[in-house]
Amino acid sequence: MARVPFLLLIEDDDAVRTALEMGLTRQGHRVVTAASGEDGLKLLREQRPDLIVLDVMLPGIDGFEVCRRIRRTDQLPIILLTARSDDIDVVVGLESGADDYVVKPVQGRVLDARIRAVMRRGERESNDSATFGSLVIDRSAMTVTKNGEDLQLTPTELRLLLELSRRPGQALSRQQLLRLVWEHDYLGDSRLVDACVQRLRAKVEDVPSSPTLIRTVRGVGYRLDVPQ
Amino acid sequence: MTDAPSTGGRLSTRLAGVLPTLRLRLVVVFALVALTAAVSASGIAYWLNRDAVLTRAQNASLNDFRKAMEDNAGNLPRKLSCQELREAAAKMARSSQNYQVLLIDRAEDGKTCATASNEDDFTLADVPPQLRKAVAKKRTVDEKNKHPYHLYWQRITLDGDPYLVGGAKVVGDEPTPTGYLLKSLGPERDDLNSLAWSLGIATALALIGAMLLAQAAATTVLRPVRRLGDAARRLGEGKLETRLRVSGTDELAQLSRTFNDAAASLEQRVAELSAREASSRRFVADMSHELRTPMTAISAVTEVLEEEQENLDPMIAPAVQLVVSETRRLNDLVENLMEVTRFDAGTAKLVLDDVDVADQVTACIDARAWLDAVELDADRGIMAQLDPRRLDVILANLIGNALKHGGSPVRVSVRTRRREDGAGVAGGGDELVIEVADQGPGIPEDVLPHVFDRFYKASASRPRSEGSGLGLSIAMENAHIHGGEITAHNAPDGERGAVFTLRLPRDARRIAEERESGDGHADEHADEGGSDPGGDARRSDGRDQEGGR
Repeated sequence: MARVPFLLLIEDDDAVRTALEMGLTRQGHRVVTAASGEDGLKLLREQRPDLIVLDVMLPGIDGFEVCRRIRRTDQLPIILLTARSDDIDVVVGLESGADDYVVKPVQGRVLDARIRAVMRRGERESNDSATFGSLVIDRSAMTVTKNGEDLQLTPTELRLLLELSRRPGQALSRQQLLRLVWEHDYLGDSRLVDACVQRLRAKVEDVPSSPTLIRTVRGVGYRLDVPQ
Repeated sequence: MTDAPSTGGRLSTRLAGVLPTLRLRLVVVFALVALTAAVSASGIAYWLNRDAVLTRAQNASLNDFRKAMEDNAGNLPRKLSCQELREAAAKMARSSQNYQVLLIDRAEDGKTCATASNEDDFTLADVPPQLRKAVAKKRTVDEKNKHPYHLYWQRITLDGDPYLVGGAKVVGDEPTPTGYLLKSLGPERDDLNSLAWSLGIATALALIGAMLLAQAAATTVLRPVRRLGDAARRLGEGKLETRLRVSGTDELAQLSRTFNDAAASLEQRVAELSAREASSRRFVADMSHELRTPMTAISAVTEVLEEEQENLDPMIAPAVQLVVSETRRLNDLVENLMEVTRFDAGTAKLVLDDVDVADQVTACIDARAWLDAVELDADRGIMAQLDPRRLDVILANLIGNALKHGGSPVRVSVRTRRREDGAGVAGGGDELVIEVADQGPGIPEDVLPHVFDRFYKASASRPRSEGSGLGLSIAMENAHIHGGEITAHNAPDGERGAVFTLRLPRDARRIAEERESGDGHADEHADEGGSDPGGDARRSDGRDQEGGR
């Protein structure tokens, strides 16, 4: 039995906040809510939730900024709740460090599925480790070290690295990665993968702009290379 | 203009055919006018001159000759010898007029004697017979005609040289001598020739001058015309701020001013229209956006209600069921409305990925639990560069529509085809053809052209079943954004049902790049930032590629 996920919901609209809280609570989550980004950041520090569901359109500091501020210190999963599925919002959201996004009006079931998928990414499954050059992936401790230093990876980044490291040298398509990491059953947004790869490269590569570990395979997807 | 019945119209059309440019036409017309003027002026001058010169020379000679005849031939004795006649002729020829004389008379021996001042050059054979006849002809003397014989003359050519031949018979008791003169008109001819030459040269100079003038005129007329043409082309390309510099007050300046006014009012009109269109688009976008927040709350609560349905009062349960289903419908409608506004605003973007088309179709069918109702005919391994979400939207709408109106089984087939017009970038010439065929009654012919219209209802009385009325139009927009197309037609005779054919380029990258470079103005609406994920990812892809080799 997994423990009850503890969520922080940051949403300014009263009706939406109440309704989502009601729905998520019924799905078996423990939910605290905040009506603004500032309140949300405060609650994050005080209550240490497992996951944040974050509305993009907030009064004061907006969802993207909240996301960026959280990422400075914490690697907990963030799911963006975007009212506009305008592509620019999605992209900015993913760049500011969100793990996944859902588009309003969202169905409670979809949001629940995403939450559970994100939560599962942090679960350990095997007890071995792998080394790729200066990068060491410890699957039992769920930690990644580079040159002996711990890397702060979000669960999504970690899972992406794990999936790639399980098939070293083999290219995985974006759609495959979406299924494996995000558990999007089909037709996921490939930009999730691209954005996450960019963030992961920024953390694991020596020179993120010319990656040697996580390589792009044109026309296919990505693969993790074992350095010579 | 071309089909104008007037001869003028036809003429100018033919002229335009032969002389394609205005410059050429101007030059030719100027040249023709100059040529006509110069030639007629020269011609008239030449003829007048020629007449004057010849008449003067003629008159002088003939008067002189007449006088000489009276003085010499008239005084000859009745009976004279050929020798005397010759002397008389020689005497006559010594005149200042420089002509030769031939005298004929009956000599004393009764024979006719013809003597010339210079018998080598002038014989009776040189005198045309009709002149001889005219000279010899005797007229009756009356009030009008005082003399029985007249002086006659004629211009002839001997051995290529022009001569004046004149003849007269001395009036008196018969027999009287007859005299002829032969005067060379060579000097006059030379004078006239040199005059003709000068006139010809003058004509040629006038012609050249006219053509140069025409060139200059054409240039001054055509430069503004070309400027006007350039400006009109720029205007046509959408640069509505194009204006011409107006200088002067001539017709072309007037035309430029008219052009500027037209461009200004066009610019204003377009600005007004696009402002109005933008505001109405913004209204729809804002409206559907505003609908989303309450829809989110309602949707979330509706699910709670749905789960609690069994526990509800049987009287209330149907009401709850209705709310749940209608909420879902409203949700779809808002969703579709948002999609449509994104297309209208030009903010829709392609998120391309390499996908296996058969997998995508299967996933689409599977996700909607349509596996039993759809027969799929697709080979695995057909890879394409497209936006999987948009392909899913297209397929879901086409298959959903087929199931709703045509009934199962719906047949879906996936093929690739070489495009004939394929100006091929690598692999870009290939086309993906997906056909969705249903088993229904087909689409009435009058409805066929409208199936992709928004909110189109086949008949006003027929209630629209579930579905927003936007599905097929959204499918079409999604095909267009890929550079593809959807067509609808009924299956050929012997088969039932409607067939929707989706054609997409197998590699939509080029289309996506064109869109990104091409719709800069559309991005104005797409507000802040403007960071472009696809572009970035692609750029880094390229770099990786190079690094990897």
